[in-house]
Amino acid sequence: MNQISALPDDRQSIPADRGALSQAPADPRMIPSAPAPADATIMVPVPLADLFRIANEYEQAGRLDDAAALLRRMLAVAPLQPDALHLSGIVAFRQGRMEEAADLVEQAIAHGVNTPLYYRNICTIYERLGRHQEAVIAGRRAVELDPCDPHALHNLTVVYYRLLELDESIACARRAIALDPTLPGPHFALAEALLLRGEFAEGWAEYEWRYQIPGAAQMMPKTDRPQWDGTALPAGQRLMLVADQGFGDVIQFGRMIPWVAARCPTLSLACSRELQPLMRQMLPGLDVFDRWDDRPDFAAYCPLSGLPRLYGVRLGNIPGGVPYLQADPSRAAAWRARLAGLAPPGYRRVGLVWAGRPTHNNDINRSAALAEFAPLAAVDGVALVSLQKGPAQAQTGAYYGRAQLLNVSAEIEDFEDTAAIIAGLDLLVTVDTSVAHLAGAMGRPVWVLLPHAPDWRWLLDRADTPWYPSMRLFRQRVPRNWSMVMGEIAAALAALPRQGEPQTPQ
Amino acid sequence: MSASQQHPASSPRPARQADPGLCACGSQLRRLRCCEMNLAAQASGEAGRHLLPLVERAVQAHRHGAIETAETLCLDVLELAPTQPGALQVLYSIRKAQGAMRAAEALIRRMVALDPNNLWATNEIALLLMGKGSLAEAEIHARNAVRIAPENAQSHNLMGMILTEQQRPAVGEYHYRRVLALSGARDPIVLANLAWNLKTQGKMEEARALYEESTTAAPQVLQTLLGWARLEEVDRNFDLALALLDRAEQIAPGNPSVLLARAVALGRKREYEKALATLDSIASQSRDGSLGPNELLEKGRLLDQMGRYGEAFAAFEEGKRKAREVSGHAYLAEHAAQLAERLQRFFTTGRLKLIPRANPAEGVAQPLFILGFPRSGTTLVEQTLSAHPAIAAGDELPFITEITSIMPKMFDSPLAYPEALAELWMGDHREGLDNLRDYYLQKSRQLGLLRQDARWFTDKMPLNETHLGLIGLLFPRSPMIHVLRHPLDIITSAFSNHMTHGFFCSYALESAARHYVLVMDLVEHYRREMTLRYMTIRYEDIVDAQETSVRRMLAFTGEEFDPSCLRFEENRRYARTASYAQVTEKLYDRSRFRYRHYLDQLAPVIPILAPVIERLGYQI
Repeated sequence: MNQISALPDDRQSIPADRGALSQAPADPRMIPSAPAPADATIMVPVPLADLFRIANEYEQAGRLDDAAALLRRMLAVAPLQPDALHLSGIVAFRQGRMEEAADLVEQAIAHGVNTPLYYRNICTIYERLGRHQEAVIAGRRAVELDPCDPHALHNLTVVYYRLLELDESIACARRAIALDPTLPGPHFALAEALLLRGEFAEGWAEYEWRYQIPGAAQMMPKTDRPQWDGTALPAGQRLMLVADQGFGDVIQFGRMIPWVAARCPTLSLACSRELQPLMRQMLPGLDVFDRWDDRPDFAAYCPLSGLPRLYGVRLGNIPGGVPYLQADPSRAAAWRARLAGLAPPGYRRVGLVWAGRPTHNNDINRSAALAEFAPLAAVDGVALVSLQKGPAQAQTGAYYGRAQLLNVSAEIEDFEDTAAIIAGLDLLVTVDTSVAHLAGAMGRPVWVLLPHAPDWRWLLDRADTPWYPSMRLFRQRVPRNWSMVMGEIAAALAALPRQGEPQTPQ
Repeated sequence: MSASQQHPASSPRPARQADPGLCACGSQLRRLRCCEMNLAAQASGEAGRHLLPLVERAVQAHRHGAIETAETLCLDVLELAPTQPGALQVLYSIRKAQGAMRAAEALIRRMVALDPNNLWATNEIALLLMGKGSLAEAEIHARNAVRIAPENAQSHNLMGMILTEQQRPAVGEYHYRRVLALSGARDPIVLANLAWNLKTQGKMEEARALYEESTTAAPQVLQTLLGWARLEEVDRNFDLALALLDRAEQIAPGNPSVLLARAVALGRKREYEKALATLDSIASQSRDGSLGPNELLEKGRLLDQMGRYGEAFAAFEEGKRKAREVSGHAYLAEHAAQLAERLQRFFTTGRLKLIPRANPAEGVAQPLFILGFPRSGTTLVEQTLSAHPAIAAGDELPFITEITSIMPKMFDSPLAYPEALAELWMGDHREGLDNLRDYYLQKSRQLGLLRQDARWFTDKMPLNETHLGLIGLLFPRSPMIHVLRHPLDIITSAFSNHMTHGFFCSYALESAARHYVLVMDLVEHYRREMTLRYMTIRYEDIVDAQETSVRRMLAFTGEEFDPSCLRFEENRRYARTASYAQVTEKLYDRSRFRYRHYLDQLAPVIPILAPVIERLGYQI
């Protein structure tokens, strides 16, 4: 199988079969091969099929601008050529021009003859555009045209997940796996759906496929040492834990480090520098490093995200007493004093994080815009405190909501600062980011805005979470529409007792 | 305005001959004997002592009104001895009386350069510069005059006038009182000047008493009556103001200043037709049958009040056109853009981490910054907040801008602001911001703003938000209240009033819009890069929900709510800005979305403002 990565995604590969694309269009026309030099008088004609093959190679090599330029030349001569239209759509998608991508592939479908690949790919394009119903129709059509294509079924699995039609999603994933049990994508999609439903036993097992997804970041350099199976290692043998996946995952699964240490007292943790101070709180004296060259010799390894499977986490036995992370007392005192000097006395201090890392594969669904928090800003007696980092921090400049917004992000150096600020807040309101996990792990009041189809860890239809008792979940009713959620949060905030009264928000 | 005495101007005489060799300044001297002369290479005035008899004749002729003889003699002397001080002085006096101000300025500058200790010349140049609005330079010469003759009453009088005009009336008051003490007399002009000064400080009763004393001693002084009439108009005694203007009219029938003041008073009485007729009478008396810039803007405002919007906007446009023509001012777009770019380049999160903030000065009132584009409602907010017992009104304080000028000198920096802030990374300038903070507070103390019973004093200098970053460094604990208003209302209002803020942006509609966008972009930059004690308040919200808005501002400041803030119109303090009349009336919504009457005329600036209108959450 000639797998393509036309629509890359670290969790949900978009398996578009390049086999169909690599068939040169049977078009006898010739067009100039490339822009002629200024002094050239002769233009060498190149068959359209050759040109398409070159464009295809460019696309595969990631030379998207070159591919787009060639395809434009092709389409100038053969504007209805479906493969060129389709590949142009794929290039547009990879360049982030989603609407254009949909338009091009729609044209390819209009001028092609029931090509399953077009439907399969437009299914994912529609999904990214939030046009979920159209994505379902296209995905079903792709499966109808080629019932044995596991990639089409995988794409459909993802769309059904977005719609929270989990029975359908799981069924599609199982059919895809049945067609090709070696494909990691459907396994991982199945894991997410099962875990979201709280079916942890099978879910954790399927979750192990995550590192085999094409394009997924490698957890660590190749090693001949085995992955830890959860049993105690002989005395003196070192277990190396790897703080894999995002910061939020590390904070969430870091709670199991003491459980690991009870089995393998000789323990090291490979962890990015940003999180090291927090992870050291999990186990005094924990050996932590952030450069592979510095790693000690080890007998076995294990990713933190693999610990729930080994532990046998179920809804009723989630380990680790909360709070298991604390702010540094001196930093917390300094930030508390700083906030007191900036925010009106007696006002409730509400932290805000409205966007996650933009490169996250589900960022389009989980992140919001600061302007969408206007209903919160209209609540009396509230001072907002921005903890937003990254490119979305720039939105603070153009915030003109009613409540004061303290942009302390500019002074946040690390997670310890973030924790210190959280300690001085009355409440944190955040989208699904690492800061939500941090506040939850600290046992601080935190309200999390979840997209319509949330990440598996937030489960279904509940306002609380067994992972963090101080957390309250607000779920999006309509995909990519935060307005109702913001209204609910604003109402809940307004209903909280005024500061000085004993209750704390939950 | 000050009640300084001016010589009546006569028309400049035509050039004696159309000689291309004559200096362009209009002195009637040859270029090489005037502005193109190398002053340093000239022999001293002593060299022309054989010409002294001619100079003496010129002085006598001038004294006896034989102006032409005096002028001819001076030109002859200066052709032979271009630095002869007596001839320069007489020729300066003649040109000044003729209204040939460029020539007069060139001549008096030459006199001061030749003899920096010439008190008369120093006083004259200070007066001349003040008259043309170059207050900063006038102040330099006025200070020199005091240095030369610390017990000379006229020198102190100049300082009084200039500092009053510079909006530092408390310092000006000191100098006026020195004049009275040094002269040992109650000169009616000085009393009138002091009265005007006290009016700007809101000390209306004392000012009124001085005007009464002054007019009793000298009842026929036009400027005194005009100043007093303005006081009464500001203090809402419109009938008394009009009675004073009647007296002024008897002294100077048809005087345009008197008529304009009358039109303003009538407008405030809502006698719009009468006010318009008064303005029209100015036009009918003028040489070309038209109004000047100030009269046209007043006419436009009256027409606006009468609902005659098309005519109103036409008057604003004509007024601004004339203002450009008369003053030669136009938006300094390039300067503004360069400053904004340099500020954005310097004030970044990375740099700001390395800059120490000034330590808060303990035990004294702290500034409370009211920010906003001119005409956004900052005066209303100041009147509201300064009705609170813990908040003193500071008005438009020029100190932040001054600090940007003196910073390089204070930091021994070869760089200008903002780059001079890099000196704070040097070991010997780590406390540099504390020094600048003290400069600000000391200047404020001189203005009498550091009241014992007040925790805050306001600074509502328009466009201080251009220096939001610097303010954040100097006063990190000071509240900053940024007054927002629909941008099209702001631009409409800026276009209907005379102001020079913002690199002269309001001299044209489009440049006002462009500068507004530039400043808002800058504010957004600062807010992205820095942690600031900053809030926004919307003018429209104050009109719609006054108490809620006032509570929000006071809570932000950390003060308890005080109901007197809701009755700001009873705050008898005089606001020196164009909004003084509005803030003496109860809240009304006439000024809200007033731009809707002018949508056609505003069409050229809507594309410029549309993005920021959207960001602010307004609609068109």
